[in-house]
This record gives sequence, C-alpha cells and structure tokens, in this order.
Amino acid sequence: MSAVLHAHPESGPVLGVDEGKPRKVLSEAGMRGRWWRFVLILVITAIVLVPIMVTVVLALTPAPNSTATGLTLENITGIFSKTLAGTWLQNSLITTLATVFVSVAVAAPAGYVLSRGRSRAVSGYSLLLFVMQSLPIITSVVPLFILFAAMGLVDNLMGLTIIYVGSTMTVATWMMAAYFDSIPISLEEASWIDGCSVFGSFTKVVLRNSLPGILSTAIFAFLLAWNDYLVAIVFLRSNEIFTLPMGVQSFFQQNNTDWSGVMALAVIMMLPPIIVFATLNKYFSVGGIGGSLAGR
Amino acid sequence: MSSTTAQSGLARARKGLAPGGAGGGSLNRKSKLSAQTSRTFFWLLLPSVILLVLIHGYPLFQAGIQATHDGNLIATGNFVGIENFQQVLSSPAFWKAAQFTLWFTIVGVFGSWAVGLGLALLLRTKIPAGGTFKVLLLLPWVVPIVVSSTAWNWLVATPDSLIPSIFRNLGLGTPLFLADPTLAAVTVMIFKVWVSFPFMMMMISAALASVDSTVYEAASMDGASRFQQFTQITLPLIARSTYISWILMTIFCVNDFPTIYLLTGGGPVDATTSLVVLAYRTVFQDFATGPGVAIAFLMTITLVVVSVILYRQIRKSSVE
Repeated sequence: MSAVLHAHPESGPVLGVDEGKPRKVLSEAGMRGRWWRFVLILVITAIVLVPIMVTVVLALTPAPNSTATGLTLENITGIFSKTLAGTWLQNSLITTLATVFVSVAVAAPAGYVLSRGRSRAVSGYSLLLFVMQSLPIITSVVPLFILFAAMGLVDNLMGLTIIYVGSTMTVATWMMAAYFDSIPISLEEASWIDGCSVFGSFTKVVLRNSLPGILSTAIFAFLLAWNDYLVAIVFLRSNEIFTLPMGVQSFFQQNNTDWSGVMALAVIMMLPPIIVFATLNKYFSVGGIGGSLAGR
Repeated sequence: MSSTTAQSGLARARKGLAPGGAGGGSLNRKSKLSAQTSRTFFWLLLPSVILLVLIHGYPLFQAGIQATHDGNLIATGNFVGIENFQQVLSSPAFWKAAQFTLWFTIVGVFGSWAVGLGLALLLRTKIPAGGTFKVLLLLPWVVPIVVSSTAWNWLVATPDSLIPSIFRNLGLGTPLFLADPTLAAVTVMIFKVWVSFPFMMMMISAALASVDSTVYEAASMDGASRFQQFTQITLPLIARSTYISWILMTIFCVNDFPTIYLLTGGGPVDATTSLVVLAYRTVFQDFATGPGVAIAFLMTITLVVVSVILYRQIRKSSVE
C-alpha cells in the first residue's frame, strides 16, 4: 500500500516529469492548449514567487545610504563585517549537521526494528512515535527549558541539537522504516546463511542498500533543524550563540529596520536549503512521510 | 565464538529446510528472527527509546506536574490541582485563541489542499518546462519561514509597503494588512496557505503519478465528461493520500508557531493569537508557567485523542 505513496528513485522521481509513454501526436488545438497552460502556470509561479524575488532583489540593491549603483554584493559583505552573521551561519551549520547525523544514526536502527519486527511491543512503539510526533513542541519546551537550565544547556548549541534530534526522530524513524520495507528480506536471509549476524547484515547489507532512504531522512532533518525558530527563541539568549533565524530576527529589534541587511542575511539563510533541495530533490518525497505513516 | 557456532548451526538448519519450498522459507525467517534477533533488536531500538523518554516522555510528565502547580520557571510552586485549568478554561483569551486556531487550521488545511490539487492537476498535463515549474513552486515550502515572513512583512506591513501602495494606486484604498484585526487574521491564513500548498502539491502529485492513464482513456471512450472523470476517477484514487495529508496538515497547523508569530506576533489586539502563541506568551512573557503549560496540555490531550483515532483509521484503511 505504501508503495503507492512512497515513490523511490527507481520508480521515478515523484516530482519528475515522467508522464509515461508519449501519447498520440498533439493536434493543433492540443498545442494551443499546451501554450495556454504554460502562460497560466508561468503567471501563477511568478505571483507565488514574489516574496522570494523581493528578498533577492533587495539583498542585491544598494542600501539607501550607499553610493553604489546597479546590483551590488556590498549588503552581503556588509553583514559579515558589521554583524555576527559569520558566527550565526557557523552555529546554524553546526547544529543542523549534528542533528542530521545523530537523527539518522538513531532513526536507522530503530526504523529497521519497526520494519522487521512483528511483535506487539514493536507496533506499540510505532503508535507511541506517532502520538509523540503530533504533540505541540511547546509542551515539552517549558520542562526541557528548566531541565536544561539546571544542566547548563540553555544558550548552548548542544542543548539545541538534542531537542532537534528529539523532534526529528519520530518522523525520521518512520521514513527509515518505510524505506527498509522496500528492501526484500531475502537479501538479509542470504547474508545470514553466509554466517552474518543480524546486526552485521543490518549494517553490511541493509544500510548499504539504503542510501536513498538515508538521504531523504537526512534532508528532512536538515530542513527541520535549519528552519526552526520556536526552540531557538526559547533556548538562545546571547548574540554569539544565535543561529541564523535568531540573527535575522535581531534586525527587527532595532528602531529602524535595516532592510538591505536583513534581506542579505535572509538570502544567505535560504541558500543552503534550496541547494540541498535542488541537488537531492529526487530522493525526497513527502509521499514518503505519508506512506510511512500509512504503512506502519 | 559460540555465537558463530550457533549461527552456522542456524544456517545449516536453514539449508536443510530450504528445499521445503515457499512455506519453509517463511517459517525459517520466523525462527531466525525470533531466535537471535530480539536481543539485537533491543540494542538497535535502545537509543531511540532513550531519546523518546528524555525529549518526549520526561517533559510530558513534568508538564503534567507544572500544569497542576502555581510555580514559575525557577520553582515548582505549590500544588493547586486543577486551578490552572479552571483559570484557563474560564478566560476569554483562551477561547478566542482556540477559535482562531480552529479557523487557521481549517483554512490552512483546505486552502493549501485546494491550491495544491489545482496545481498538481495542471502540472500533470503536458506543459513546456513543466518540471522546472514543479521545482520552482516548491520554494515557498523550502525557504525558511523566518526568511519568507521577513519578505511578507516588507510587502504588507506598513501603509507604504509595496502591496498597500499598489492597492492605493488602483484606487482601492489603503488596506492595513497587519493592523486591522480581521485583515491581519486573513493575511496570516493566506501566508500559511502560501507556505503549505507545495506540501499538498507534492503529496497529490505523488498519488496522481501512480494512476494509470489508460483508466482515463477508457472512461472517455465510455463517454465520461471531464468533470465526471475528475469526481469519479481522480478524487477516489487520491483519496487515501488526501486523507493522510489532511491529518498531517492539521497537526502542522495546530502546532504552528513561526508562521503566525513572525508575521504578526499574535496581534493586533490578539486577533491572530493561536493557542501555541498564547501558551508561549503566557510562559515566557507573563511568566505564568502553570496556566501556560495548562494551555499546552489541553492542546496535547486534544491532539493525542485525535491522532490516536486517526492513526487507527489510517491503519484500518491500509489493511483494506
């Protein structure tokens, strides 16, 4: 059942344009319809992307007090020299990459158990993960704030990472489980015959064949950690520990918002997710999230 | 060493049984899994369980304690029973926030679904550069909310922003998108739809991709109109993924914080204060931990009940 929703690269990228075999040659009316639809989708896309285009244009337009003309990179170089943008970028990269690695390291083995285990405990755990994922993070934020304050993990990148891993692990576990479901158990059985332990065959046979599943889980964790604002606003206090979302917001604390600066930082912040998505797009299917939900 | 022997023993047993055919295969798998695996499974699951207890279980337990005490962020305070809940449930602010959350969720779920469905259907037809558009239309979902809310703020926040200026130049007056309570609520909902429709579009595209096009050819040969094809074939075929996407989007909307908080901060005059924003402000701005956690707790209970029911529903429909 989940195969319908959980498209793997081998079944064609979900977002790709493979519409099957070409049908009959288009009539003239059909051609005209094609171009009308092209114009329609072009207009819709242009309207939808206005906020993003505005961000880029403002970031590259000289600030009101600048002498530069035309398009310029001085806003972008400016924020790195005038604000802590470099530190914020570094903080965001550290927490995000740590979250991605730990999430996959925790979710992959757990997902394997959910995929292969058939006991009551396993399906109970699966339900528990589902319930936990639907809880508002604000519920856990307050108690965790108090706990982390006692442990010195407030205003600390490690504390932030722990919470990010906690909030990605539920969905990440399903995504891994759904991917493992698509790997035939006969592969493992063959390795067992060769004398491989269950753990050995998991790492050597299953994981080695799961790169698309691992990548799609990693992208999910990446997006969540990179984009988070709620946890950051609660747990981060000092300027030099800020991640990028807090850095962007700090521009609005001044009386006069420096729009050129904030848009320059915004462009820096949106580039990594866009690059990740553009290059790894075919591995990521939201259908995978839905499918894993349905299949578990 | 002994485990190696046990394994080769198991492997031999497997080989011995193998000629038994397909039935023997599955029997083997079972015995193999039950014999050696439960211990391995335990260790594989352990990190996940520890994290779940630490990040989800413990805070939930603590939240239960805080919700029944009159403490603050430093001290737990005294046990007050259900006083916090009574206080929350009798405050108009709570019900106002609950009402906004409900509308925000309804518009967020169905608005983004409708837009996503329309675009998924449009992109399914043959369009020059269709693949490029598909990727471009995902951008609102990929770009961080902090970034897009900044751009939206620039576009609509003050009377001199771009969009109000356009309205003024068209002779339509100067709408105060974020200052007028009703308009601010509408703006936040449109922003939410803008952020979320690509998710719906992806879900529906994935479901549509698995529909065999010959079904439509057969239907049109039988004289089914376009509209009939849509209601009789397309909608039923994507029903399952639609159902799942509604559930996920409901959870996303109810739990949403940044979309609302970054655009309006919950204002003007609390017109866009959702339950999460209210809980956040109660705890971290009014320092009333008990009532704040009580609000979060009420949301939690509602969502747990709803999600368990829905989870059962999905499982049931996936068995069929």
